Amino acid sequence: MPTHTALATLPAGLVWQGRQLAHQNGPVLPTGHAALDAELPGGGWPGAAMTELLADQTGVGELSLLMPLLRRSGPTRWQVWIAPPQIPYAPALHAAGVNLGSLLLLTPATPAEAVWATRQALDSASCHAVLAWLPQIDSAGLRRLQLAAEQGSTPLFLFRTLATARQPSPAPLRLALSARQGALRIDLLKRKGPLAHAPIVLPLCGDRP
Amino acid sequence: MLWLALILPELPLQVFIRGLPAPGLLAITEKTPRARIIAATPGARKQGIQPGQGVASALAMLPTLRLVARTPEREIAMLKELAAWAGAFASRVCLDPPDCILLEVSASLRLFGGLDALESAVQDGLQQQGVDVCSASAPTPLAARWFARHAQHGPQPLVTPTPDWQSHLDALPLTLLADDSAISTASFDLLSGLGLRTLGEVRALPASGLARRQAQAVSETLARAYGETHDLRPEYTPPEHYTAELSLPAASINTEPLMFAARRLFAGLTSWLTARHAGIDHCRLSLVHERGEDTTLDILTGTPSRDEARLNLLARERLAVLELPSAVEGIKLSAHAPRALAARSNDLFGDPATERENALLLLDRLRARLGENCVRQLSTFPDRRPECAWRSTSLRTSVSTSSHLTVRELGIPPAPLRPLWLLPRPRRIDAPRKLRLLRGPERIEHGWWDGHDIRRDYYTASTADEALWWVFRELDPPHDWYLQGYFG
Repeated sequence: MPTHTALATLPAGLVWQGRQLAHQNGPVLPTGHAALDAELPGGGWPGAAMTELLADQTGVGELSLLMPLLRRSGPTRWQVWIAPPQIPYAPALHAAGVNLGSLLLLTPATPAEAVWATRQALDSASCHAVLAWLPQIDSAGLRRLQLAAEQGSTPLFLFRTLATARQPSPAPLRLALSARQGALRIDLLKRKGPLAHAPIVLPLCGDRP
Repeated sequence: MLWLALILPELPLQVFIRGLPAPGLLAITEKTPRARIIAATPGARKQGIQPGQGVASALAMLPTLRLVARTPEREIAMLKELAAWAGAFASRVCLDPPDCILLEVSASLRLFGGLDALESAVQDGLQQQGVDVCSASAPTPLAARWFARHAQHGPQPLVTPTPDWQSHLDALPLTLLADDSAISTASFDLLSGLGLRTLGEVRALPASGLARRQAQAVSETLARAYGETHDLRPEYTPPEHYTAELSLPAASINTEPLMFAARRLFAGLTSWLTARHAGIDHCRLSLVHERGEDTTLDILTGTPSRDEARLNLLARERLAVLELPSAVEGIKLSAHAPRALAARSNDLFGDPATERENALLLLDRLRARLGENCVRQLSTFPDRRPECAWRSTSLRTSVSTSSHLTVRELGIPPAPLRPLWLLPRPRRIDAPRKLRLLRGPERIEHGWWDGHDIRRDYYTASTADEALWWVFRELDPPHDWYLQGYFG
């Protein structure tokens, strides 16, 4: 029996092959973008972990990337936005199909309070998704947030700058975002699986022309 | 009816040592009429101190032994505290002083998954509060107590209520009758003088003969134990206010042993709350000093809670930063005004009610810490001016979710493409040359009636690094360019 067919007959998870994507532990949330789903372990955003989205500018399409997920938010669960850099514009969110009644906008006075609020939102396990802009968080804080996301089984999307890409991070998924000819270019910096060589380019609709 | 009897054999000792991680050498004495040791810590027993020993001989064996006189009023208080705690397990709780609590558990069996599971849950709970227990069950309270008392002295396995429980009762030794205060010493001496050894033999005696010999109480007690007559007992109702007290035999100046003692008290408090289906948002921990005023710590939870871990955590935080003025020799916990708090169900697939409760709890916590103004919700508003087309409301005011209907009713066409990010106020940009205009212009002239009129041409523009901006040009001179949003 050739090796690859022999491997295929084994139960999943016994043998890990280098070219395969890992199985995502815990729930997986489809991103709504088929090209991206194909490159992510389990086929979507990790549903109980931190995902880092690194971008140097506002306006590259970082929100449009999450719109399909945010659109699915039910009425009983919050989607919490913590310390966003600008005002999330309600008419555009509404037009994109986001349920504004479940959106909670937090503008804490200090970075420490923003981290505290993020942990509370994750711990309560009552959030559909948590979006946080925490530029000053340290590595111990990151570990705590990752742990809280696991325990609360809540996806956390953490927005940071590209400069932090070289720092180690406990997040199982890290994406660098940049704009390219009216589309969003995603470099997979870290995922559970083999290194990604080619960036993914997503033509986004959402609020983009 | 099924009664579970809890006998606390070490109660006189554990009143003093349950707040200590390492009790050391300590013995409890009682004057009956000569001072005798009635209980000793394991450490002291290992050195040869025995209950029943005279004080003088005990001190001769172990000069470092600390002696404390028995305090019956503290024992009763602790028995009541534990009875209040046991209310979480049973529909009826009766006190049977000096050292017994009786629980009527027939209605609780299904909830806890059978008698064995219930019994071990009770035993674990008492263990956590630092209390040893002997327990047994029987269809009558007296029989349950006797079985428990018998188990306390002998290694016999506990008798579970089988159809032939009365024959097990027959086999119990006569000495158990002395346990009951209703039976006088004279009657007991009479029975043992007759050569009787077990309860079954006593029961076989003619009742009229016993009555003639002033031993009517014996046959009455046996009738109650065997379930032939009713055994009416006053039910114990836990007080409206929870107070529990714990004394430390060796005064402590450190807060760490206090935390250990406080944990014991919080275990009792949460169980009292569970029995009442209630939660507290405030309780008070008092540290009793040898002299001077008590130090009081108010522990606030924000929302009603009966979460033991949370209370422990809050108490630990408060104790950690505390400067004690002098040594502490006891701690008290009091809680008032419990508020109704529905029980969480243990549903396998998650409970929507719990989820909603969690969501509201999160909101409360965020608002309490960050302030009303930092927790907001967004809504749309029918206005053509981009900066007026949204509202941010703190959650007190009810959010109108039907604003998009209003837009349609007003006959305004659905808004064209809008950016996901809006700048708090438009920022003037000098160099529109670097921008590539992709779409536009969209002309907005609006608001001439309220003094905030705008006349602008909006464009979607791409920057050199290909981010998308939402910019406008004033129609009025000096025709400046402004950035108002980003297409996120």
